[in-house]
Amino acid sequence: MNIFALSVSAILVNNFILSRIMGLCPYIGVSKKLDSAFGMGMAVIFVMTLASTITWIIQHYLLVPFNIGYLQTIAFILTIASLVQFVEMVIQKMAPALYKSLGVYLPLITTNCAVLGVSIININDGLSFIESVLNGFLGGVGFTLVLIIMAGLRERLEKADIPEHMQGMPIAFILAGSMALAFLGFSGLKI
Amino acid sequence: MKDYIKLGGILFIIAAVASGILAFVNNVTSPIISENQLLNEQSARNEVLPDAVKFEEVDSEIVYYIGFDKEDNVVGYTFVAEGSGYSGVLHTMVGVDTEFKINRIKVILQSETPGLGANSENPEFTDQFNGRIKDELAVDKDGGEIVSITGATITSRAITESLSSMMKVVALDLETSHNDTFVENEEVK
Amino acid sequence: MSSFKELTKGLVKENPVFVMALGLCPTLATSTSIVNAVGMGLAATFVLLCSNILISMIKDLVPSKVRIPCYIVLIASFTTIVDMLMEAFVPAVHKSLGVFIPLIVVNCIILGRAEAFASKNNVWNSALDGIGMGLGFTLALVVIAFFRELLGTGQLLGFQIAPLSYQPVLVAILAPGAFLTLGLIMSIISIMKKKSQSGQEIRG
Repeated sequence: MNIFALSVSAILVNNFILSRIMGLCPYIGVSKKLDSAFGMGMAVIFVMTLASTITWIIQHYLLVPFNIGYLQTIAFILTIASLVQFVEMVIQKMAPALYKSLGVYLPLITTNCAVLGVSIININDGLSFIESVLNGFLGGVGFTLVLIIMAGLRERLEKADIPEHMQGMPIAFILAGSMALAFLGFSGLKI
Repeated sequence: MKDYIKLGGILFIIAAVASGILAFVNNVTSPIISENQLLNEQSARNEVLPDAVKFEEVDSEIVYYIGFDKEDNVVGYTFVAEGSGYSGVLHTMVGVDTEFKINRIKVILQSETPGLGANSENPEFTDQFNGRIKDELAVDKDGGEIVSITGATITSRAITESLSSMMKVVALDLETSHNDTFVENEEVK
Repeated sequence: MSSFKELTKGLVKENPVFVMALGLCPTLATSTSIVNAVGMGLAATFVLLCSNILISMIKDLVPSKVRIPCYIVLIASFTTIVDMLMEAFVPAVHKSLGVFIPLIVVNCIILGRAEAFASKNNVWNSALDGIGMGLGFTLALVVIAFFRELLGTGQLLGFQIAPLSYQPVLVAILAPGAFLTLGLIMSIISIMKKKSQSGQEIRG
């Protein structure tokens, strides 16, 4: 199991936002300022890693042995909701400024497609425990990377002369599309 | 404390009722799903080995099927080769004749990129494998003769390699265990 | 609000995708063909309708503190039901949509409407709201899929529309195409809004 190859795959080639199209809501909502983008990214990395760990255990020690695979969606999403609640409490205690700047987007990590997505993908692709945890962590890193790049670009964009009908959402998506196009170039990467 | 118990209790009741309903729907739909899967596999088997009118399952370390014609002569074997593609697993149904030359293949499960890796299902790609033996399986990028799909080297290579290794495994199993491990599981076309 | 208005507000005026920017992940990921768009749209509408109705029915029984986890369990259950039904009865579409079917549970539209509407309104209006928002979502998906499928494969609904010499723009059905198409459509909508606003001002 090549860590480097896994990293390149999870961060660049199969990037959650630009390639798998998961985790868009915070991407569009939080990527306006560099600080909040970074803070959100850290929170997401933490949640994705923990979620991958716990959901893998639940799948292989609870759902499969008792033949209740159909309860996967409920079990996974409840796990993630609890995790996010926990992370919220921790951040509120330890970094109240970050808590304020993230605002409503922190509890929204629960509905972040990337978190539930990576949990399900780990199972569907038949990854081992270590591989799943790594996939969660590295997927989060890739998510944060794109979020930070986007925030940096959008901060610059504030000073640019954008046509009125493009301002706000449209230009954000066009920007995302250009980034996705760039990341598409990673798809032939052979390690 | 009483508050938490009450809140937890309500959540638990809702979850329990939900699980019950899901168990019910699962009981209704899962036989249909398995049936569909069996039918798909059967039709794929018939596609890759059309000369066979019935198949017998061999369940040793790996699962494969022996194909027989009307007079009970062996016409070939079918098995599923599994590989890891660009964005998920790849399953290819293979039909080989008695000399272990590929008769035809069919990609039965893939989730590759549409327009690129997903084109591995097209005859332009799969027909290349017809008539090959297990030592003739490598993509052009690896010095072989199979032409990879443009922009889908990973998919092409994954399928080709999975075929090569599965063929070797099945051939080995036939040589060693031969008749001892048949499972009575005849299917009529 | 009249029943008709409740039903149709989700189609254009309060379209969940184009106006409220909700449910973006499945919108961009499953609008690769019109068949996929309709499949995902109807599946999500089913979940939205059922969850709106059920949540509206039990809104007075569930204490506020634990309402979000309860809503999530209900939405997850309907999502699982739709997943199982699709796998059994439309396996081809189920395979195409893949992991995005279970991801319906985190579709912001569904939890959003549950929290903003169904938990505060009666069953009839919640049902209409669910249908309207769901159809608006489906409509948005189909509009985007129309352009992506046509440009990206030269086909519509699997039928060859463009002349055979047309070299399809593959990028349209991949991720970048999704973002660019949505961005362009949103800018067009922005122009249309400005025109209707200035039109109204002139008319006074």
